[in-house]
Amino acid sequence: MAKAGVGALGVVLLAVLIFLVVSSWTRQPASAKPSMQPIDFPHNTHVQTYKIDCQYCHADARRSEYAGLPSVQRCLGCHKITAADKPEIQKLAQYGAKSEPIPWVRVFKVPEFTYFPHKPHVRGGVSCQTCHGPVETMTTAAGRTGPRVVNDLLRVAGFRPAAPPLSMGWCIDCHRKENATRGMRAPLDCVTCHH
Amino acid sequence: MKRRDFFKIVATGGAAAAAGGCQQATETILPLVVPNEQLIPGVASYFATVCRECPAGCGVLARNRDGRVVKLEGNPDHPVNQGALCLRGQAALQGLYHPDRFAGAQIRDGRALRPVSWDDALKTLAEKLAALRGGNKGRAIAIVSQLENGSTGTLLDRFGQALGARPRVTLEPFGYEAIRAANRATFGRDAVPSYLFAETQVLLNFGADFVETWINNVHYPGAFARMHAFREGRAGTAIHIEPRQSLTAANADLWVQNAPGTEGLLALAILKVLVEKGMADRAYAGAVAEIDVKRVADESGVDATTIQHVAETFGRGKPSLAIGGGAAVSGSNATQTQIALNLLNAAVGNIGRTVRFGADWAYGKVTPYAEVARLVQAMAAGEIEALVLGSGVNPAFTLPGGLKAAEALAKVPFIVSFANQPDDTTALAHLVLPDTHWLESWGDYSPREGVIGMLQPAMKPIRDSRPMGDVLLAVARTLLGGEEGKGPLPWATFEQYVKASWEPVVKGDVPGALGAGGVWRDVPATSVAAKPAPVDMPPAKLEGDAGGFALLAYPSLRMYDGRSATRAWLQETPDSMTSIAWDAPVEIAEETAKSLGIARGDIVKVSSPHGAIELPAYPRPGLHPKAVAIPIGHRYARYHVPRYVGAPSTTQNPMVLLPGAPDPASGGLAYLGVRVTLTRTGARRPLAVLQATFDQDHRELARHVDLTAAREQALRGKSEPHEMLTMYTDQRYPANRWGMAVDVDACLGCGACAVACIAENNIPVVGKAEAAYGRQLHWLRVERWREDGAPADHSPNFFMPMFCQHCEVAPCEPVCPVFAAYRTEEGLNGQVYNRCVGTRYCGNNCPYHVRRFNWYNYDFPAPLEVQLNPDVTVRQLGIMEKCTMCIQRIVAGKDRARDERRPVRDGDITTACQQTCPTQAITFGNLKDEASAVSKLSHAPRAYAVLDELGTRPGVTYLKKVVRGHA
Repeated sequence: MAKAGVGALGVVLLAVLIFLVVSSWTRQPASAKPSMQPIDFPHNTHVQTYKIDCQYCHADARRSEYAGLPSVQRCLGCHKITAADKPEIQKLAQYGAKSEPIPWVRVFKVPEFTYFPHKPHVRGGVSCQTCHGPVETMTTAAGRTGPRVVNDLLRVAGFRPAAPPLSMGWCIDCHRKENATRGMRAPLDCVTCHH
Repeated sequence: MKRRDFFKIVATGGAAAAAGGCQQATETILPLVVPNEQLIPGVASYFATVCRECPAGCGVLARNRDGRVVKLEGNPDHPVNQGALCLRGQAALQGLYHPDRFAGAQIRDGRALRPVSWDDALKTLAEKLAALRGGNKGRAIAIVSQLENGSTGTLLDRFGQALGARPRVTLEPFGYEAIRAANRATFGRDAVPSYLFAETQVLLNFGADFVETWINNVHYPGAFARMHAFREGRAGTAIHIEPRQSLTAANADLWVQNAPGTEGLLALAILKVLVEKGMADRAYAGAVAEIDVKRVADESGVDATTIQHVAETFGRGKPSLAIGGGAAVSGSNATQTQIALNLLNAAVGNIGRTVRFGADWAYGKVTPYAEVARLVQAMAAGEIEALVLGSGVNPAFTLPGGLKAAEALAKVPFIVSFANQPDDTTALAHLVLPDTHWLESWGDYSPREGVIGMLQPAMKPIRDSRPMGDVLLAVARTLLGGEEGKGPLPWATFEQYVKASWEPVVKGDVPGALGAGGVWRDVPATSVAAKPAPVDMPPAKLEGDAGGFALLAYPSLRMYDGRSATRAWLQETPDSMTSIAWDAPVEIAEETAKSLGIARGDIVKVSSPHGAIELPAYPRPGLHPKAVAIPIGHRYARYHVPRYVGAPSTTQNPMVLLPGAPDPASGGLAYLGVRVTLTRTGARRPLAVLQATFDQDHRELARHVDLTAAREQALRGKSEPHEMLTMYTDQRYPANRWGMAVDVDACLGCGACAVACIAENNIPVVGKAEAAYGRQLHWLRVERWREDGAPADHSPNFFMPMFCQHCEVAPCEPVCPVFAAYRTEEGLNGQVYNRCVGTRYCGNNCPYHVRRFNWYNYDFPAPLEVQLNPDVTVRQLGIMEKCTMCIQRIVAGKDRARDERRPVRDGDITTACQQTCPTQAITFGNLKDEASAVSKLSHAPRAYAVLDELGTRPGVTYLKKVVRGHA
């Protein structure tokens, strides 16, 4: 009886271990699950097929702290006509008709005590992909790099690049490298981002 | 299963559940449906408008981030305030986001107000007014507003005329009636003229509290600094005569204490001395023939040699200027006193030079208090059946107790108030139609002739409120039966009305005028001739017990007449003279308090024939022994209690003690009009006094230099540069080294910087009890010090804004176990909140005591959290914080420079405290740049570092106060 109890305990512990490993995927920094977006938005179609520049939609990246998301009006500028019969586009049309914003789920996030402005990075010639990964190949953002078991297995096997971790060490490494190789003046002071 | 196994399973299961529970919550990002062309999310836009916290009418730039106003700054192009703003202006945001603001219209239901739909509310108002108008009882309608001399005023007047109402009454408790009456008598002009401080060499001030409230407490301190501060090279002299050492008196080179109400006699005695010495026009000899200097010396308590000395100093000023005001010059002889000052100015040729008519202040249009009193009497007699109160007026609170305004208001059957926050008057109102805040409104205001400041909405209304103008127009349409576009008030909205009335001045360029903040032109000076007639100078009549103390009810720098008292920022910013936060004290002269056995914090009942209030006592030096002083305007907002203060004392406003009868000569209200008696109640209410002592104890925190020595040093350069020996190599700064310089000589201690810092850096309010423990979180405090060895009531005092000194050898840094405090390569002491673990070692090791610790998670009661600056982290429990030299503004300034592909220039970056300073006492810049203003100041002969003997090598330099030995 006592042995069976220990065996059961072992099973429970194993289950807990597996649970922790799996849940740690979902708690990687700065990422949420990509599957829960209100509209199944394909970045790859927009960027690769139609050659639309990132900043056509994320127009504030060059002039603001935030990259910004396109207004519903901007989406509908094309999609009033283009592919208007597709079910996902009809969802968009409904938001437009109701004058409601689209509740996009945030994918990339730095902690609240961190000030990250897009503008100086765009000005310094940093490409969007440096931090956001190869979004142009993805459907939803983080679709190919996000914390899903398939992505992670492919990554472990070396078939897929890892998503940038958006951690402080990673930021600092890049700032140091840019200063050393390209003669940039990327700040290294703590208080530049933490104030 | 064994007991031990059970525990193991439970423990691991619990851990797993805990681990599973801390997944990131999903967060949504909502894009705009239709983009706003004017606003880029994340980029601030600025709207020029006019501050309406008091009648000074300073120009303001409202910083709007993502659709909400987060900071106010003075409009640099505005001729009145030239970029500066006072602490009340800075705290206006707390009125905008006030938690107590009415949401929607309210109607009286028994004793309480209950919400009512706007349609019903407007219908009620229209029906009431229509019934009175129809019954030919238009005279029973009274309209009262604050000083509105622009479009709002004309609309109110047209509205009143359409109803046949009584002429509108503007209720401004500080209306300068005596100055107007005296100018009528001496010059035949009913006006409050411009006083040209900046051109003056000697300023002789009879109680005018220009650092606190007098006429314009941003414009005049700025002009005073140009005349008085050593850095401007003029180094004029200021002499102040007042029974109480006010903040203005504490900035004078010589403060003369006189018996209350004897200012006029002193002015005439000074004139007499000048005439006798041939320093003034002989034509004025007749006006002072009756004056006996010795008798004046006896009555005023100012000895004859001081009178002689003051007169001679004044006479030497070319030009000079004599001004008067404040509580002491508001008694029954205030008009005669002001006439005496007019004669004094005229006799030495100041009229047209430093006193100039033409560009007159708007106060000339205020309804004299006598007419307000007549209206209140009409209310008490039941003659008023409908009372319309604009926003900003609170007659139940601001009128003197002797007038019994609250009882008179209770007799009015219908009161409609446009106030947007509950106050003593809305408690009596039958209908409340909350007006939009001035930051949400259209309008205009002219602070003085030739300046029209324009108001535009800087954001959408945060609470359900409507512009008063819109309500008036809608009611007028219903009432007069007119269609839109017809009748006497044809405009559909107030915005249309305002823009139509601007048309003649802006000539089609509304956007241009709005962008500048208004329209201004130079007004030519009007020449006036003085009548050198003798003045009869009766003593000030004081009601009440002849053995009592003259009550000096003085306008408060922080609260004005009570309008600003509901702002928690201002309540927690200590009074510069007493360093008391939160409660209003009764100031009693030290020797008097000792003889009465009254100690600090004892509750004293102050009684006059008109009422009584109970306040905690604050014995102080620098007050006439036969006088007590109480600041006007203290009250708490509903949300302050019990959040920040315990049970409130009943009323804190000394107005209840004052007589209601107006001064017959000027029609003004006598703030010096009563003697009061003091009785100890036995109860205590400890005061939150934030600075324990004003004695420097020879630590040389605030240093001074004599004017002659300062002039010599300025010529010869700095004498001995005493460098401290060090074992370490100097720190190197690859790009910039940020530093600041504070000119103690220019600082007047007004506290605008402290509130600007609160607004910019998301500093929470901790409440009275915590503040009394010394747990207030202000990054910048204004210290007051007196000269070592000088008596306790000596002027000038030294005012020093004290904040993180950004030491090169910082005592805070080596004691931090987690490297949260560190030295940046641009010369700042960084504080990394996400590293800080709250050991407080750094705070204990800081010799300047400028580090602040978050003892709790402080809340920002909704909707005050909307004001928070998104560029600054909101700190939480257990974090140490301090001045960052506005690092977010440094980052923004560098960003702007890089956008324009140029290095940061001197003046590109200003800190919040520097930006708002009326006297420009604070300078920020790059110490590595030899040509920068801050570099020059930090190498000036007057420069010193506070506590430099510790070898901390601060990045903040102070400049010594320049004292005038001869004054």
